[in-house]
Parts: sequence; C-alpha cells; structure tokens
Amino acid sequence: MSSHTDATRTLGVGILGAGPVTQAIHLPSLARLGDILTVRHIMDVDPAVAESVAARVGAAHSTSIEALLGDPNVEIVAICSPHQFHAEQVIAACRAGKKAVLCEKPFAMNAEEAAQISAVSEETGVPIIVGAMHTFDPGWLAAQENWDHLPETAHTIRSSIVLPPNARFEDFATEIITRPAGGAPDYSDPEVIKGALRGGIMGLAIHDLPLIRRFTPDFKDIEVLEARHVRPFGYVVSLRTPTRTIELRAAMNNTWKPEWSFEAFSDDVSLRIDFTPSYVQAGSAVATFTRGTQTTIHGPFEHNGYEGEWRELAALATGAKQPPSAQTLIDDLTFALDIADATVANVEAQHAVAEGAHA
Amino acid sequence: MSQQHTVRATPEAQEAGAVALAVASLPESFGPAAGENQADIVVISGRTGWTAQAVEAIAAGARGVVVVNPAPESTGSLRTAAEESGAAVVLDQRWASNPALPAAEHAVRSMAGRAAVLDTVATAPAGTDPGELLADHLAAVVRITGPLENLRILHRGTHGYAVSARLANGAPVALHGVLSSARPAGVNVSMLTDDGGVSVALPKPVAAWPATVKVTGPQGEVLLPTLYESAHRATWRRLKEHLDAGTSPTDLHRFAALTESISTLS
Repeated sequence: MSSHTDATRTLGVGILGAGPVTQAIHLPSLARLGDILTVRHIMDVDPAVAESVAARVGAAHSTSIEALLGDPNVEIVAICSPHQFHAEQVIAACRAGKKAVLCEKPFAMNAEEAAQISAVSEETGVPIIVGAMHTFDPGWLAAQENWDHLPETAHTIRSSIVLPPNARFEDFATEIITRPAGGAPDYSDPEVIKGALRGGIMGLAIHDLPLIRRFTPDFKDIEVLEARHVRPFGYVVSLRTPTRTIELRAAMNNTWKPEWSFEAFSDDVSLRIDFTPSYVQAGSAVATFTRGTQTTIHGPFEHNGYEGEWRELAALATGAKQPPSAQTLIDDLTFALDIADATVANVEAQHAVAEGAHA
Repeated sequence: MSQQHTVRATPEAQEAGAVALAVASLPESFGPAAGENQADIVVISGRTGWTAQAVEAIAAGARGVVVVNPAPESTGSLRTAAEESGAAVVLDQRWASNPALPAAEHAVRSMAGRAAVLDTVATAPAGTDPGELLADHLAAVVRITGPLENLRILHRGTHGYAVSARLANGAPVALHGVLSSARPAGVNVSMLTDDGGVSVALPKPVAAWPATVKVTGPQGEVLLPTLYESAHRATWRRLKEHLDAGTSPTDLHRFAALTESISTLS
C-alpha cells in the first residue's frame, strides 16, 4: 500500500534529465535530506542512463516527460535538461499540478518565455525556484542578514571564478556514467569566441548574477565597457551602471585549485564571499565583512546552496515558506540576458574595428 | 664597517616615506643630518615638480636622493644630472618598492608565456586620487610583468578605475582600482596559466607586513619566503648598497618607461 496517507512520509522528487548535474549534485544533496525528500522518478532520453541512475536511488525511470509528470508519487519536479527545454518543461510541471518546481538556470531563454512561466505559475499556484545555488547558500544568507545598507551603498562589485575542469569535482562527488563530449574549439573564429562568451555568461556568470543584481538597483541600465575571452574557457568583462562598477572574471583551466568569490565595496564596508566549488558537498560559503580594521566572518556552515535549494523546495511544497516573487526570477533572467547580449555585441564591435584596421 | 650617511627630508616626504623609521632601522648606515649641515641624502616628496627638486639637491651636493611616491613626469634632465655627478636616485614607491617584487617578477615572467589572463586589483582609501592610485598600481604591475600592450582606460571616477591591457602573448590583462576605506590599501595580482599560476599580494608600506607570492602548479602551491620588511626600508637598504658599491640604480630608467605608458592613457 502506498504511504501517501502517512503523515510522516517524505516528499517525492522527480528529476527530468539524468546527466552529470543530476548524478553529481542533486542525488548526493538529496541523499543528505532523506528525512524530508525521496527521489521517486528519474527521466532521461537515454533509457540506459535513466534506468541506471534511477537504480542508484530505488526510483522509477522513464524516457518521457509525460511519464514523470503523470507519476502521482512525484510532488516536486527538478528540471535538469538542456537549456532549450527548460521553459516548456517548467510550464508542463506547473500544469501537472505538482507542489513545487526547481529549474536549473537559466529557467528560460528569453524574457517572453519567462513571462509565460510567471503567468502559469501564478495561475496554477505552483511555486518555482531557479537553481542559482549561491542564492541558497547559508554563507550568502548570513551575509544578507548582516549587510545593513551595503546593497544600497556599494559602488563596486566583483565576481571572480577559477575552476578546474568539471570532471575533477564530479568525480569527487559521485561515479559519473555519462559525460557530454568535449570539443576543440577554433579560437580564430569570431563566432566561436562569441558563442564561448555567451555560454560563459549564461552558464557560469549566471551563478552570481542574481547576487550582483541584488547590489545593483539600477541594473536595467547595465553597459558592457569591454568583454574579452580567456582561453580555453572564461571571460574578463567590465560593466557599469550609472551608480555601479561591476567586474566579472572567470577562467576554467586544468588547475587543481578552485577559487570562487563575490565582492562588494562601499566607501567604508566591504563584503567578500568565498564559495565552495560546484558539485562537491564541501559546506557553505564564508562571508567576510571588513569595516576598516574590523573584520566579521560568517560561516562556514555545514551545508551548501545545493542542499539549501532542496530545503527551500521542501518548505515551498509544504507551504511552510512563500515562493520568491516571479518578478525577481524574471529580473534575474533579463539581467543575465542583457549582459550576454551586450557582451556579444561588444566583441562584435571589437572585431569590426580590428577588421577595419586590417582593411 | 661602512660609512654612515646623513639624511634630511622635507616634511611632506618625512611623513609619506616614514623616513625617521626607515633611517632608524638602518642605524649603522644612515642618520639624521645635524643642524643646517649639508646632508648626504636628500629625501623629497614625489609631487609634481619632483625631478627639478632632485636636480637641485644633486647640484647642492647630495650623494643620494630618495623620492617618495613619485608622480609620472619626464626624468630626462634628472638622469643626466645623476649620471654626471654619480649621485644615486632611488624611488620609494608604495608597492613597486616592496622587497618581494624581484621574486614575484621571476615567478611571473617564467610563466608569462603560458599566461591565460592576468587580473589585478589595487585598493586605496576613499578620496584617494584615482590617477595617483593607477600610477602606483601600474608601477607595481609592470615591475612584475614587464611592459604591457594596448593599455586603455575603460573608465575612471571617484570610486576607482578599470584599465585594459594585454600581455606579450596576447593574454588579457585587467587592472581594477577600488577606492574604499573598508580594507587596508594593497595590490593583488593573479596570473593564471593552463594549469596553475602566480598570485601576489602587496601590502601598504606603513608596516613590515610581508607580501605573499604563491606559485601554483600541478604539484601543488608554493608560498615563497616571506620578507618582513617594508617597501620604505627596502628602498633605503637598496640605496645603501648602491652608495657602498658606487653603482647606479635603474629606478629612473624604469620610471621613464612607466611614465611613457601612463602618458598613453591620458
């Protein structure tokens, strides 16, 4: 007999897409939350992957979204499929009457899709959160509780990311059974550079863009001053708004040494948050406030933002917490899209100048 | 035992260069000049016009000149005066004079051909002139990296600046200046390669906080030996070595290259 009527039953989770993120991030996070969440269904277009990953957690498996959404044991849906499927799958999950939806970032590819999602979420009452794990990190949340007026007074913001290849940390987190094939990009092709920079903003910078936006009240007036590609994968982007200077740095290379920091400065207070690397369950970020000669440190806490987002989902699904405003999600997305578009436009302009100089 | 050289500093230089402390920390080599007697070493502030002041000091008989925080300006006539008289002119720069710089330079240049990116941030108290900070910042960076290509200011304002450049191998260089009193002033430089890199953290010279230079590679990370000596004292120790050996510092040659770079920015 089903345990659905059992007052102590855990919430059922279904996951769309069983690639490395699901294997290395979500399943280990959920394994730490067995008292409140249970994986009940894994879907992947590759039946062997779906079956194998589902077997790890004793879940049902399928190759179609309809099968997962039709499974009454699934109450929370996590969307970990390729970016282009996110919007339609979020909408389908809401319409299927699930209790909460987690969508990996970005949750849509344009503002129109985001608005559609928002409308469906409002209509169905199904809460949605986007898997921007740093916004659920206890280190970030501790900073939020202690930053006073810094978001209003900060004038300079930095995000700096140095990451080893993903596989290094995936292998610390689990035993991966599939990985996307890598390529050898032609960096002499401007289209490759533009694609890499757009991918860098929407795939890497996007982790911290909601944090940056929190410190940038005039985020709609963002301007890219210069964007440059870092080989093999990364970026140096200088931005500004009328009141803020924003510097984005990222490099993914073959180093063993990760570094992931967010910084905000006002005239008299600075905040630095050092995040733990993706994939591994290495505890929370550490937030450090410096006010002249006084330094205050918050963290580390025992869990990271991945676990934090699952705790949040469980609270949303049970009604213990209220969902974030849809406008917040839309603004986060459009902020990222605006920066990605402006970054590509800046590179195009640089290329045009270089071409002109050679003509 | 070497000769003790007498020292006289202008009030502004005395404060900016913590001259009394530096001289007191090298008591066998330097001491204050008595009364109105001509000093062997003259210390001047690096405010605009410092090269003319230095020329005057040499003409008046100074054997050595220490310039504290020199602003960019043409050093041609001063170099001539120093060469003709044999006077030693050393520059006491906020970060470029840190005694860790030679090791940092060696570490960075031995990897620079494989550099993927160099990111550097200078911090100074709110209210600092961003142009002054940029000059000090750039002096430290080029001391480590050598000349930068395609230097370009992206923006400059009351809260800092962003400057773009390239290393010789084409890798992007980003210089970011932040004006905030939240943290101690300092410069951080991070150069990444395909499998590691070098990071340098330079403190302000008011105390003997050591700079840190870390070299990262596939085998791990090495912290180079820490030197608990301020940039001010390192400058004076270098001056003493030149005076004792009768050699000429290369400070002015280096500074001429820096001044030229900065002139392309304005």
